[in-house]
Amino acid sequence: MKIVVCMKQTFDTEAKIAVDANGKINKQGVSLIMNPYDEFAVEEALKIKEKSSGEVTVVTVAGPEGQDALRQALAMGADKAVLVDPGMDEIDEFTTASILAKAISEMEYDVLLGGFRAIDDGSAQVAGRVAEILGIPVVNVVTKLEIADGKAVATSEIEGGSQTVEVALPAMFTAQKGLNEPRYPSMKGIMQAKKKPMEKKALGDLGLDAGQVAPKVKAISYFLPSARAAGKIIPGEPADAARDLVKALREEAKVV
Amino acid sequence: MAKGIWVYVEQRDGKVKKVTYELLSGGRKIADALGEELCAVLPGKGVAGLAAELGEYGADKVFVLESDSLENYTTDGYANAVADLAKQNDPTAILMGCTVTGRDLAAQVAQKLGTGLMTDCTEMALENGQLVFTRPIYAGKAFVKASCPEARPAMATIRPNIIAIEKAAKSAEVVSAAANTGDIRQAVKDIALQISSRPELTEADIIVSGGRGMKGPENFAILEELADVLGAAVGASRAAVDAGWVTHSFQVGQTGKTVSPVVYIACGISGAIQHLAGMSTSKCIVAVNKDPEANIFKVADYGIVGDLFEVVPLLKEEFKKILA
Amino acid sequence: MSEPLMIFDEVRDVIVASGGEEIQKCMQCGLCAGSCPWGRMEEKSEFNVRELFHMGRLGYDGYESDDYLFACTTCNQCAVKCPRGIKIPNVVRSMRSVIAETGGIPKNLKAVLGSINSQGNPWSQEKDERTAWTNGLDVPEFTPDKEYLLYVCCTSAYDGRSQKVAKSIVQLLKAAGVSFGIIGNEEKCCGESVRKIGAEEEFGKLAEYNINLFNQKGVKKIITTSPHCLYTFKTEYPEFGGEYEVVHYSELFKQLVSEGKINLSKPVAQKVIYHEPCYLGRHSRVFEAPRELLGKVPELSFMDYKDNQDYSLCCSGGGARIWMETKAGQRFSDVKVKEASEAGAQVIATACPYCIVMLEDALKGQNKDEEMSVKDLSEILVESL
Ligand code: SF4
Ligand code: SF4
Repeated sequence: MKIVVCMKQTFDTEAKIAVDANGKINKQGVSLIMNPYDEFAVEEALKIKEKSSGEVTVVTVAGPEGQDALRQALAMGADKAVLVDPGMDEIDEFTTASILAKAISEMEYDVLLGGFRAIDDGSAQVAGRVAEILGIPVVNVVTKLEIADGKAVATSEIEGGSQTVEVALPAMFTAQKGLNEPRYPSMKGIMQAKKKPMEKKALGDLGLDAGQVAPKVKAISYFLPSARAAGKIIPGEPADAARDLVKALREEAKVV
Repeated sequence: MAKGIWVYVEQRDGKVKKVTYELLSGGRKIADALGEELCAVLPGKGVAGLAAELGEYGADKVFVLESDSLENYTTDGYANAVADLAKQNDPTAILMGCTVTGRDLAAQVAQKLGTGLMTDCTEMALENGQLVFTRPIYAGKAFVKASCPEARPAMATIRPNIIAIEKAAKSAEVVSAAANTGDIRQAVKDIALQISSRPELTEADIIVSGGRGMKGPENFAILEELADVLGAAVGASRAAVDAGWVTHSFQVGQTGKTVSPVVYIACGISGAIQHLAGMSTSKCIVAVNKDPEANIFKVADYGIVGDLFEVVPLLKEEFKKILA
Repeated sequence: MSEPLMIFDEVRDVIVASGGEEIQKCMQCGLCAGSCPWGRMEEKSEFNVRELFHMGRLGYDGYESDDYLFACTTCNQCAVKCPRGIKIPNVVRSMRSVIAETGGIPKNLKAVLGSINSQGNPWSQEKDERTAWTNGLDVPEFTPDKEYLLYVCCTSAYDGRSQKVAKSIVQLLKAAGVSFGIIGNEEKCCGESVRKIGAEEEFGKLAEYNINLFNQKGVKKIITTSPHCLYTFKTEYPEFGGEYEVVHYSELFKQLVSEGKINLSKPVAQKVIYHEPCYLGRHSRVFEAPRELLGKVPELSFMDYKDNQDYSLCCSGGGARIWMETKAGQRFSDVKVKEASEAGAQVIATACPYCIVMLEDALKGQNKDEEMSVKDLSEILVESL
């Protein structure tokens, strides 16, 4: 079984977000981690490998710093890593998916996995696009996955419940929380990871050029939410206070 | 030349989702400003009857994609049908609700059409004739305003409950179109709907959380009732978990789950630092506590100083009224 | 088929290279594990430090988890007994650092690290609010003419409960006429737990940042509110070129009381038991000062735990455990509260912000917070002013 996991390195959840002088998100002074949903994907890949033997390859589209996330995946037990550095200032999901798909198309694969979304931009579309480009089916937000006899049975979230879907392989699955509990890399795994292959590629190595994968979506501006106003204590008898609070949440805070 | 603002109609069992009406209301304004038609795209089986209703919310035209193979939602079936219709009609934009289905469908359609997609948007506007969308990034700690300047259609999924619904009595022209569902590779074996399924803590938009002030496990029922009215998840502070009233999976805070919902309602939680560290990035924090000195009020956007056993049931009634 | 256990020397090599050379000295006698609190709790933990060293040396798998490698609170109790004089927590730290480098640290600790990186404190609080605790209190700013920098622990700067400790210390310093000031928002966490998590690179950055800041401001002497900051400034910052005269507030107050600059005259008629913070006692060898101070408070009846000083039981908040979940039945702090209550104490006194957090949680968990309380030494001293 050949398994390929699409992954991404993201800001950690505690990162303080600021906009820099160029109006872009400031990347200084934040910790980078493997996107937590991708950890589920890597874990699932390893589980499939442990059951049916095979090989797990992790791929990412990122600058050189993305190697850290790949190395974590290798230390967890993945066999190979591929990093494609697009070397472009502006990219979007179309760009990333086009590059990932091209890189994957050069590999053998039965199962593709990815986190269902990344915690930074949360756009939840790259994996689906990759599947579409490769011409394979996708099942999103998967919380349970069973692979047998060239088929997969996946349980996935739907509005107000879940559904069970069967697809023939190869297919793409995107991982939702609950799919598994990702392992920590072991000390031995970390040592072994150092000897595992990590390929670094540029667009040209994949036979692509920046024009072919130019973004469709363009960011106009980035901004921060308005500062939190001082808290208000809603006065009055319980009944009045409850009514006023609900009113404030709807009309002032506009959150319900 | 691309023409038409399209809204994907999300329905289940013949009932149109509210977000569809919201998108029609918002789309109506855009279509008027551009002088284009607002079209609803309605795939399904036995759904033609819903077309008239869509006119009431502003649709000029309803494309009905009827097919037996569209009875249940499948990624391939719906994406093929919608993308095929778009290829033939070349719309300016396609809007979908940012729901589980909308998200799933939008990515496939966007790639089939080779276009750009902005997901999870919280604002939609027209600037210099260009559709511009705003979406939260980094869990709402920042926003990006973006557009799809050249590729058509521009696609976006928009969060529910963002756009106010406005009726616009139109009698929509109903167009039955061929549904090219293609090869559907996802075979749905089973659908399990839960009657009242509360969302996962870390995924929930609203969390109702209880602390030591709950006084006992039996009292969590009042939080659950409030949560069900709001479609919220139930959480707890470490003190409540330690007391054995709820299990660790409910625990919000540094040694439990870190959450960042839109609304966090803290009931009887004093606000120990480990708790605050796990929830202080929530967009709006509401605190109900007897003790006016409680730390939780320092981070709360709204607070009620009072007996939670009195206040929480009243809140439930008030929310019921506005959410009805 | 289970694989035969393969010895994997490289693991030992990397532990050694990361500062854990002493792992090679271990003779596997097990005295450490015998004294480690994890083995003495009502519910036994799987964690065994002797075995950890064994597995590390042979390169076995299976200990890289929240409840094993990251269980150690770095309390140093085991090291007291080790016949080879191994600084056991240091070896544990080096083993963690290998894992941390590859992103494999416990989930809860990732958030802590992230918060320290972007906000300069582990509590996910705004960096600009570091001095919020001083509101309404006239706390002098540190300038080169001041004798001491008062470095307030992140916990005492942000936690509502712990802010009271910072305030008490300020009140005492003022009463004694000490020349001191705070730097405030520019400061970052001392990095003690960052290093214990194994995040060496981040720790180095914090140390360099703070040392730079202290030097720029002309700091020579530092008073810490927390034993963890004390230990770090005193024993770890010199590695990075930061040499200061560092004291825990209890040491300074002991001196001020004996010089008659602090006058403890008001009676505090309570039975007080003293919980030894590991980083004040075992790690920094400050055993006397807190006891002496409590002894000078009129009408206070002082008690020691049966196991004290080098043998005192940790609260379980060290080594970054304060941010991790410990199962009921395995919490050292619960034992401490039980013992205090059996001894008839009304107050558990301590001198560390982490201990206060852990002990108060335990007190509440046992519903004893009405009959007993946890106080910082400084709070008791203020009562007696
Ligand atoms: S006490 Fe020292 S020598 Fe004995 S097993 Fe522990 S670390 Fe090794
Ligand atoms: S430092 Fe403390 S917790 Fe760690 S192994 Fe030694 S005795 Fe146990």
